[in-house]
Amino acid sequence: MLKLKNVSKIFNKGTVNENVALSNINLEIYDGDFVSIIGSNGAGKSTLLNVIAGVFPLDEGSIELDDQDITRLPEYERASFIGRVFQDPLMGTAPSMTIEENLSLALCRNKKRGLKWGLNDKLRKEFRVKLAELGLGLENRMNTKVKLLSGGQRQAITLLIATMVKPKLLLLDEHTAALDPSTVRLINDLTEEIVLQKGITTLMITHNMEYAIKMGNRLIMMDGGKVVLDIRGADKALLTVDELVDMFECAARKKFDDDRIMLGLTS
Amino acid sequence: MLNLFLTSAEQGLVFGIMALGVYITFKVLDFPDLTVDGSFPLGAAVASIIIFNGGNPFLALVLSLMAGMIAGFITGFLNTRAKISGLLAGILTMTALYSINLRVMGQANVTLLNAKTMFTYLEEVLGIPRRWGFISAFVVAVVVVKILLDSFLKTQLGFALRATGNNPDMARSLGINTDAMKTLGLSMSNGLVALSGGLVAQYQGFADIGMGIGTVVAGLASVIIGEMIIGERSVGLATFAALLGSFIYRLSIGIALRLGFAATDLKLLTTILVIIALSTPRIKNLLRIASS
Repeated sequence: MLKLKNVSKIFNKGTVNENVALSNINLEIYDGDFVSIIGSNGAGKSTLLNVIAGVFPLDEGSIELDDQDITRLPEYERASFIGRVFQDPLMGTAPSMTIEENLSLALCRNKKRGLKWGLNDKLRKEFRVKLAELGLGLENRMNTKVKLLSGGQRQAITLLIATMVKPKLLLLDEHTAALDPSTVRLINDLTEEIVLQKGITTLMITHNMEYAIKMGNRLIMMDGGKVVLDIRGADKALLTVDELVDMFECAARKKFDDDRIMLGLTS
Repeated sequence: MLNLFLTSAEQGLVFGIMALGVYITFKVLDFPDLTVDGSFPLGAAVASIIIFNGGNPFLALVLSLMAGMIAGFITGFLNTRAKISGLLAGILTMTALYSINLRVMGQANVTLLNAKTMFTYLEEVLGIPRRWGFISAFVVAVVVVKILLDSFLKTQLGFALRATGNNPDMARSLGINTDAMKTLGLSMSNGLVALSGGLVAQYQGFADIGMGIGTVVAGLASVIIGEMIIGERSVGLATFAALLGSFIYRLSIGIALRLGFAATDLKLLTTILVIIALSTPRIKNLLRIASS
């Protein structure tokens, strides 16, 4: 279980550009939860994922994963049990290395890396099976450098890399936002398949309301650095896109009004 | 003509080990490391002072290698711990090494004319004449270094090193300590560069405080020339390319000298060569845009 207690993150504290990205967030994510996170730009979604991954330190609060306090653990140590996929398909793979070399890197995620060969026939066989499951024909191009692949193919491999060794937590940061609609469907299907099959606890940021409702068992809406909506189970299944958009706009309008008050525009 | 070829082969091989070191930092780690201009003469200084004082020339090479690794480690430490930019960290170590090299040698140069170098041993113990002693020793050294380096780059640790240079964010996300990998790569690289320096000192029979100037550029020239000819389809081909590039580079220098260029003009020529090689893709691109 992932527990966030009173988590706050303020950028440029004490300057005119002070920006409260996360404001006193309390959140419990249960094992096996597949949470979609929505919210307007600047709502704090990416910051939330970044503090969980340890990209920057918290200003207040603590983060626990499976009863272990990871608040002060550096990013690369958390990486041994947290998988991430980003929006940019270039971010999750080593472009000048081959597909099989990339997968080998992923396999050593929480092992000590030594002077053993990075690849052997047994591993290649294993990778071939995993790549075949993606259904993209990549199992026949294992020796191809990743930079020669399309964005969708790279994102599929990134997904495989992030989940090769089952992580305690999978963080997806708009991982389909840079893809064309049919590839979006493909990657989302793959995501669902892998996450459900392995039972990985997952947080997924998306701007697509339809997928936010359809995928996962829980939905969180963020606004102004706070969680403003947390729906799960049956309630979530009953949500419609229209309802969600209404709630979304309601939150956004509130923010707009707040800004007007701040700026003294209300008469 | 044969003489030119043989000399270029000797130099291409012995400086090729330096080029392999430069390949590790510039290509594998994507780290512009200028330590090399200091670690090359460091290796030469260490080896020559030991040999000058009657020490074992093979042990001298081992110590050259280790001295270079320490130099690389310091640059890595400055970059990853003190957060000094890579370029500046290299310059700082290089500058400090100038004083250290003078301390090691005790003077601005050390001659090995009457000392027993590894080639004296090869001649006296194995009966290999000087000329063939050079080339055979260098071939053995290069083959050993290349096999070890290629193999290393195919291990789990080697993959981690390559990923660090290729995509550090991804490397970190897979639990790779990129700071440690950078430091490891810099140590390996400068170790090889210093080993090359130690061999060169024995080859030319002296070490000189100024012999490191332009080492980075020469190494870079070798790596780029090789890459243009062979490409970098696999690790083994990429390291072979650096060696071939080193040979071609020394050959062109030899030809330039025969054409009547002064030895002092060579650094300018090398720099121009590197500038042309580095800007070729850009120029090609501009020409393509212009012609379409």
